[in-house]
Amino acid sequence: MILSGWEAVFFWVFSIAAIFAGLLTVMARNTIHSALFLISSLLSVAALFILLHAEFIAGVQILVYVGGVMVLFLFVIMLVNVGSEERGNEEIFNRPRQVTTSVIFCALLVAGLIYAINMGYEGFLKQDGPRIEAAAAESESRDRTLNKSATGASRITNDSQRMGSSLYRYGSLPFEIASVLLLVAIIGSVMLARTLKQEAAVDDVDPEVLQKEAAHDQGLGEIQVEPTA
Amino acid sequence: MLIFFTPAFAMLFQEAANGRLAIAWQKAQHPDLSKFLIIGALLFIIGVAGVLTRRNIIVIFMSIELILNAANLNFIAMSRYLQDTGNVNAVAGQIFAVFVIVVAAAEAAIGLGIVIALYRNKETIWVDEIDILKW
Repeated sequence: MILSGWEAVFFWVFSIAAIFAGLLTVMARNTIHSALFLISSLLSVAALFILLHAEFIAGVQILVYVGGVMVLFLFVIMLVNVGSEERGNEEIFNRPRQVTTSVIFCALLVAGLIYAINMGYEGFLKQDGPRIEAAAAESESRDRTLNKSATGASRITNDSQRMGSSLYRYGSLPFEIASVLLLVAIIGSVMLARTLKQEAAVDDVDPEVLQKEAAHDQGLGEIQVEPTA
Repeated sequence: MLIFFTPAFAMLFQEAANGRLAIAWQKAQHPDLSKFLIIGALLFIIGVAGVLTRRNIIVIFMSIELILNAANLNFIAMSRYLQDTGNVNAVAGQIFAVFVIVVAAAEAAIGLGIVIALYRNKETIWVDEIDILKW
């Protein structure tokens, strides 16, 4: 996998954009700005996925992360009160000593990781260096045989097809487990996010308990408790 | 201590330090797997730094999303590498990435539900004020 020409230019543009947007996500004072920078970071990473010939994952990334998860984040940010943070009278980071320690830790970790990646990649090159060169030319010639799209400006890859057949052939059990996980997440988030009033209205609450709770929560007094059978 | 980390820094700056800027430029024009892995590592580290330093619980959640995204980038880069060097049909990394995205969505839904429940009870989103578990 060796990129060249315009692919290399786009690689550098999108990777630098992803890293800067990630840094600004962590450092922005306004939480909404953080969320928007995270969206741009996710979009840049989706562009990197396209450079890696994973078009389906790039689409899923944009649809699920940007269209679903980040909108959820924005709603929650607007639900909770972060005004004091935006006005600048709250410290957004932990105490200086904790911040210093974690930044030093992260710097050491990044140095170690880059060292390990370089060393490991040398091993990779030793193992299949000649094959990488041959494979780059081969994949380029394979790309040229793909069908042209309707406008003729690009070619239609078969990445989604390969990925779908492999997902249903080898990963069908994890796929079903993932659907159960999503169901659990839906039910769990509904259960977690409802108010005491909603809980009391739906559940079969003992009236005495409800009166005790009503001392803390004014809204509870208005609930008509259905007589239990 | 310094001796221990010297090889790492030597590795980091060797291309510039040895006056081999031309080779570095040549490598930069042809990014390969290691460049993608380094970008993934940097995104991961940024996420870790966000989790460790921020006080706002929502920003901590967003940093966790950044970490998961870095893992996805590594999965996909390795998948592409395997496709190029051996197995043409090696899309296992992409399948892993799909499941990572599923788990991230579920985690965000549950986590934000917890944030809303917490905000209703404690009226705060600062993690250092949420200390009721600490007797």
